[in-house]
Amino acid sequence: MRFFDLLTMSVNNLRRRKLRTALTVLGVIIGTASIVVMVSLGIGLKEMTVEQYASYGSLNRIEVMSNYGWGSDSDEEGFLVDETMELFAQIPHVESVSPTLQTYVTLKQGAYTSGTSLIGVSRATLEEIELGQGTLPNPNSNTMELVVGNMVARNFYNSKTGRGYWDTGEMPDVDLYNDSFFMTFQNTGMSDGKQKKYVFPVSGMVAGSAEEYNEHSYGIYVDIDQLKDQLKRVYKKNPIPGQPTNKKGKPYNYFVYDYAYVYVDDMDNVLEVQNAITEMGYQAYSNMQWLEQAQEQTDMIQAVLGGIGAVSMFVAAISIANTMMMSIYERTKEIGVLKVLGCSLGSIRNMFLIEAGFIGFMGGTAGLALSYGISKIVNQFLGSALMGGQSGDISRIPPWLSGMAIVFAIVIGMLAGLFPAIRAMKLSPLAAIRNE
Amino acid sequence: MEETKARETMIQVKDLYKIYKMGETKVHALDGVDFEIYRGEFCAITGPSGSGKSTLLNMLAGLEHPTKGEIIIAGKHIEKLNEKQLVTFRRERVGFIFQSYNLIATMNAVENVALPLSFRGIPKVERLKRAKQYLKLVGLEKFMKHLPNQMSGGQQQRVGIARALAVNPQIIFADEPTGNLDSKTTMEVLKLMQKIVKERNQTLVMVTHDNNLATYADRIFKIIDGKIVHIEENHKEVDLMALEQIYEAGGVIENQTATSDETVDPEEISEPEIMTEAEGGEEV
Ligand SMILES: Nc1ncnc2c1ncn2[C@@H]1O[C@H](COP(=O)(O)OP(=O)(O)O)[C@@H](O)[C@H]1O
Ligand SMILES: [Mg+2]
Repeated sequence: MRFFDLLTMSVNNLRRRKLRTALTVLGVIIGTASIVVMVSLGIGLKEMTVEQYASYGSLNRIEVMSNYGWGSDSDEEGFLVDETMELFAQIPHVESVSPTLQTYVTLKQGAYTSGTSLIGVSRATLEEIELGQGTLPNPNSNTMELVVGNMVARNFYNSKTGRGYWDTGEMPDVDLYNDSFFMTFQNTGMSDGKQKKYVFPVSGMVAGSAEEYNEHSYGIYVDIDQLKDQLKRVYKKNPIPGQPTNKKGKPYNYFVYDYAYVYVDDMDNVLEVQNAITEMGYQAYSNMQWLEQAQEQTDMIQAVLGGIGAVSMFVAAISIANTMMMSIYERTKEIGVLKVLGCSLGSIRNMFLIEAGFIGFMGGTAGLALSYGISKIVNQFLGSALMGGQSGDISRIPPWLSGMAIVFAIVIGMLAGLFPAIRAMKLSPLAAIRNE
Repeated sequence: MEETKARETMIQVKDLYKIYKMGETKVHALDGVDFEIYRGEFCAITGPSGSGKSTLLNMLAGLEHPTKGEIIIAGKHIEKLNEKQLVTFRRERVGFIFQSYNLIATMNAVENVALPLSFRGIPKVERLKRAKQYLKLVGLEKFMKHLPNQMSGGQQQRVGIARALAVNPQIIFADEPTGNLDSKTTMEVLKLMQKIVKERNQTLVMVTHDNNLATYADRIFKIIDGKIVHIEENHKEVDLMALEQIYEAGGVIENQTATSDETVDPEEISEPEIMTEAEGGEEV
């Protein structure tokens, strides 16, 4: 028999028993919708977790700490220097390495003052910063240009009263973008006397209001090469605070980086690269490593949610099998007639499989539509409440889930119909001839 | 008899047994049956109720396996075929007419007739065209779109006949095809079957418990208790009109010689004994 003829016969049989078909389909609708909604919640949870970790910093990034200061005596081997950067760059999957040099500075504008980190990073890292105002520093500039974090201003306190935002709840009256401010580097400890005050141009501000945290909120970012030049100018031959010295207390003739960012081509390779770096004797951290742990949890939650959905799909499958069985009992005679008239066994089996599969298809399609509706409602009313205020949809139905849902419903329908179909295939054709 | 041997054998049955085991007891539904049916022949199988007529027919149509014996149809041993091969055998060679018509209730006349064609993978347009031809042949051109429950018994059986014929089978089996029809319709349906089958040189095997109906056939096989007790050659053109009148009068044919007289070949007249047996016969 041609497939289209089989399909027509199956569909006509379903149409013959509209109410029963509708009820069975309803079961599949509920089954499909509960699986899809549950899985969509799992996916939402998972993706929101990833988004949350991503907001703490790029998930492709590994932070490598220098080892000095940890060991009893300063050991050049643990230093993060330019040669180390080249070593890191040779690890497979590493896209780029970005050293970071950090120093502590004091800022002053009018009556207000504050301490903050001045962070020298590579051009690539600078480009990762999302700017709210202005531009990135000009790499060819002779003076150091700054990118100021959006929360730096909030940390200023009034040097007369000693009170700041955290005491008064009022934003300090500073404007770091439009008005200039003084920057003072740390004392070397050896040389006495006060450090000079500098004024550097601000080229850009990190995006976000004073309340919106991101990983660049609290620092002032500069080009690492400009920072190196500036530090040499400030400290001349003296040891630079924060930089290690040899056993005689003399500074090295190269910069030792505080930490370095290693960028990996793909999230999934981060842990592998991180292990390689750890084996080289450096301390490495990544968001990925925390995310990995969180993901174990979300995976489990997703499995539980999917399981709850699967139970109702299972019930739907039983109901399909039941409907098909009833249909076969009712049609014993008709099936016999078909056989006497020469309908092949395979066609009879397929006819019932298609019928069951079609119930699955209708239920799956309608169930998917229902899922989109439920998903929309959940996102509107529950989304942010469930995820502790984090914005974003908690229920997400990606295209693959839609496709899978319908395919799954059809497959479940056919599986449920398999036993009844084989039963129909094996019915004796004599039933048709016997006159009751 | 020489004439008979020259003809092509369509069905050959050798030493056929069918024994149903009912707990301890064994029912010999068929108890050693041998016969041949030739191409183009119209054979009737008669006998009292429970004598094994349906059992025989079902085995010829490959719906039941014999306990013992051989059934050779068009040179093929069908007792050795499995379920799947039997379906194929039926699809390719056999048409079946049921007592209770067994039309598919949700399909109209055309669709019912076209149904067995769909099992052969014939495309829809072609199927419907052929189905309409056959419905015309059985005189139902005005009832093409009628559902079974919108037709009389006779009309339904005509659809059943059209359905059996539409696949152009070599052999047509009919188990009490007129069993559910009144006497007038019975005559019409039987004449129709006889006419079509003759025209197309198809083999028709019909089971009936009614000896009068059997007189339409070329040969009559009489079965009692699973054994063929008599095979009657009936090489004559039955005066159908006369038979019909007698039949309608509600009687049985009292005088077989009346018809026998008209036969071309007086040697082959059936023994009167057969017909007298019919008097003990069944209700119409
Ligand atoms: N499936 C069966 N199981 C047991 N006995 C059967 C079965 N089918 C038929 N018989 C018996 O076989 C005999 C012949 O039956 P059947 O061929 O239907 O007779 P007929 O068609 O001549 O009336 C009867 O005695 C009947 O009871
Ligand atoms: Mg019978």
